[in-house]
Amino acid sequence: MSPTAALVKAALNSNFGWTVVRHRLFVQKRDRWMVPIIALAVIGAVPTLVLYVRLLSAAFDMMQSLGQEKALLTLAVLAGQFIILVFGLFYLIATFYFSTDLEYLLSLPLKPSQIMLSKFAVVLINEYLTMAPFILPILIVYGIKKHKAPGYWLLMPLTYLLLPVIPLAAAGLAVVGMMRLVNIGRKKDLLIVLGSLVLLAAAFFLQFGLSRASGTSGPDAQKIIALISSPDGLVQSVGRRFPPAIWATRLLDYGLFTGTGIAGFALFAGLSVLLFGGLMVGAQRLFFGGLVGLSERSGGSGRRAKAGAKIRVSSGRHPVRAIFLREVRLMNRTPIFLLNGVLGAIMVPVFFALMPMSAKPGDDASDIMRLITSVKPLTAILAMTLFMVICATLSGVASSSFSREGRKFWVSKVIPVDYRQQVLAKLLHSMGIALLGIGSASAALMIRFHLDAGKWLPCLALALPLCTFVTSLNLAIDLARPLLDWISPQKAMKQNLNVLIAMLLDLGFLFLYGLAFVTLGKSGLSVAAIIGIFFALSLGLATLAYFWLLQFALRRYPSIEG
Amino acid sequence: MIEIDHVSKSYNKGAVRAVDDLTLTVHPGEIFGFLGPNGAGKTTTIKLIVGILKADGGTIRISGLDIRTAALRCKAMTAYVPDEPEIYERLKGIEYLNFIGDVYGVSGVDRRERIGHWLEAFELSRAVADPIQTYSHGMRQKIILTAALMINPRVLVLDEPMVGLDPRSSHFLKEAMRQHCDGGGTLFFSTHIMEVAERLCDRIGIIHKGRLAACGTLAELRDQAKDKASLENIFLELTGS
Repeated sequence: MSPTAALVKAALNSNFGWTVVRHRLFVQKRDRWMVPIIALAVIGAVPTLVLYVRLLSAAFDMMQSLGQEKALLTLAVLAGQFIILVFGLFYLIATFYFSTDLEYLLSLPLKPSQIMLSKFAVVLINEYLTMAPFILPILIVYGIKKHKAPGYWLLMPLTYLLLPVIPLAAAGLAVVGMMRLVNIGRKKDLLIVLGSLVLLAAAFFLQFGLSRASGTSGPDAQKIIALISSPDGLVQSVGRRFPPAIWATRLLDYGLFTGTGIAGFALFAGLSVLLFGGLMVGAQRLFFGGLVGLSERSGGSGRRAKAGAKIRVSSGRHPVRAIFLREVRLMNRTPIFLLNGVLGAIMVPVFFALMPMSAKPGDDASDIMRLITSVKPLTAILAMTLFMVICATLSGVASSSFSREGRKFWVSKVIPVDYRQQVLAKLLHSMGIALLGIGSASAALMIRFHLDAGKWLPCLALALPLCTFVTSLNLAIDLARPLLDWISPQKAMKQNLNVLIAMLLDLGFLFLYGLAFVTLGKSGLSVAAIIGIFFALSLGLATLAYFWLLQFALRRYPSIEG
Repeated sequence: MIEIDHVSKSYNKGAVRAVDDLTLTVHPGEIFGFLGPNGAGKTTTIKLIVGILKADGGTIRISGLDIRTAALRCKAMTAYVPDEPEIYERLKGIEYLNFIGDVYGVSGVDRRERIGHWLEAFELSRAVADPIQTYSHGMRQKIILTAALMINPRVLVLDEPMVGLDPRSSHFLKEAMRQHCDGGGTLFFSTHIMEVAERLCDRIGIIHKGRLAACGTLAELRDQAKDKASLENIFLELTGS
């Protein structure tokens, strides 16, 4: 086996832990309870998938009646590539620069491009898995509804495989360049966070800047007629923001036996190869520069504090405060945790607020918001409460709280602090981040959609106990099976199965909560009464969940053998 | 005092017995050296004593208290130094020491005095304000040792504490270990360095395949062995190496 193939194989095995999973399931015979749980989660996702497929089918019919069904493919490719471009950034930074195996890899006789390739393969495969539930149904629904020939079904996997390469390679190039630039001086972590935000903002504004420039919005009747009078009108209009989406659409729809299809393939595959090649060349020149600097000791003898310098010794903090402070410091000083956790909670509402801004007044996005905030007060309160709770809790801070400790978990086991107090400190920290999310969501709703205090206060009253309940639940999920053995901090958060399980359960719970809210709304009770009932219910649930979590901590902590 | 009474621990659903019916007692004022080949069960035993692992059977008592029923009180009088210095890299040295001081309830006056003393001894005074991620392996080991000694516990449990230490720090640590026991404390430590065990320990236990192969003073171990030349020879004979 060639060194490159061996390295890629080892990286994939290390990341996905196939050997460890096999060993745990079949040799140690541990974690077998996870098999039915995962199967249950998959079965639980089936109704959502069915609903999604029905929506796609309806969208196809609607677009087909206008002769614009091909735009569904363009939208699928565009959405997939944009998601990868934005969310792949942090993932690439974590995998390229913060994996703990990098120092070891540096000592091996490997080229930078070989190391980069192995890391890229890990990210790529993860992206295939992430995209699958969103993109594959679109491609399959399109193929079935359009009665496509076997050629389509052969080209579909090829297109799917090529799909993440362009955005990931482009993001990779930006990350490699940024890391080389910021890897100077002592404030590397701060520069990495700032640099990541700049890249993210650039990707975001490029997207919406192009979207505005393309002039797709606006209720101009002539434009709409022109758009639908050409078979590719909507495809062209949507894809103008990102031409590879048009090329992929042509490749899929026309096949490889037509000039248009071959041209689409040549352009789509060509750009993928070009960007990937560019990344490898960039890696060869810049990767080690960005990496070697990171592993250098920034506190050399010349830079260390002067002898006799005053050392700040604290005296007698309460253990809960001490652990809370530890949680805050570890999260804020680990760029990947900070970007995914704290900034994730703050930025999601900001993006949401910015999204309708890109379109002109009177378009769909503005209409939806107007509908939510003005038509039915109860629906508006429910929608805004759920928005606040989602922004506050879906960052994965609570559902990775124990996993983030990693191999340092032994400290939590040996310190003489009641496990309940340790969990309380973690709950307070997670709630602190949740409050940031609620604050950011409130600001987005107030500034962008003119949410007034009269509506905000009931939303807040409902969101706070709901967040406490969801956060307690998420902490319990991570406590049940913390992922303590990781080499990349990304694995402790975004690649952590606990975060995914928690997200699915949270969404399921919020769906049921919303359903109950709407059902009670139809009973004829006043708005104030319904809010009162749900406030009391949420408070009760939060209290129960909190006390249950403390009891669970007492049982679970001793048996975690990190 | 540490009392280990018929303690067992296995992995892989009983397929691997890491510690097998282990019984031993370490008395106050005693330095107990725990020796054994790689994979013999030293680290597992130590992790069982400090509560990181849960025993399958048997009892462990610290100063007469069962670690299962009085876990917090046992932990409050025990300090542990692991074989791998895995600690919070994103904290500064002084932040880690303050964290440990806070959770063990060390007063401000004691903390200042002991931290100053041990930082000086381990030559960490300049580095303590820097993030731990900038420390070498030995420096990380020394900051964990400083934290353990700052607590001034009744029971010290050290897993291969000399690994990675420079000769000066090693010397100070050995002095600290002796002082700790002269003051009535209990010390349980594992090592692979026979000379250290020979010179420092009041009693030595040799573990092999999870079972206690021998236990006693150096003189007692010599009596049990055919080749009495050195502890190394005794070790090799008892462990069948």
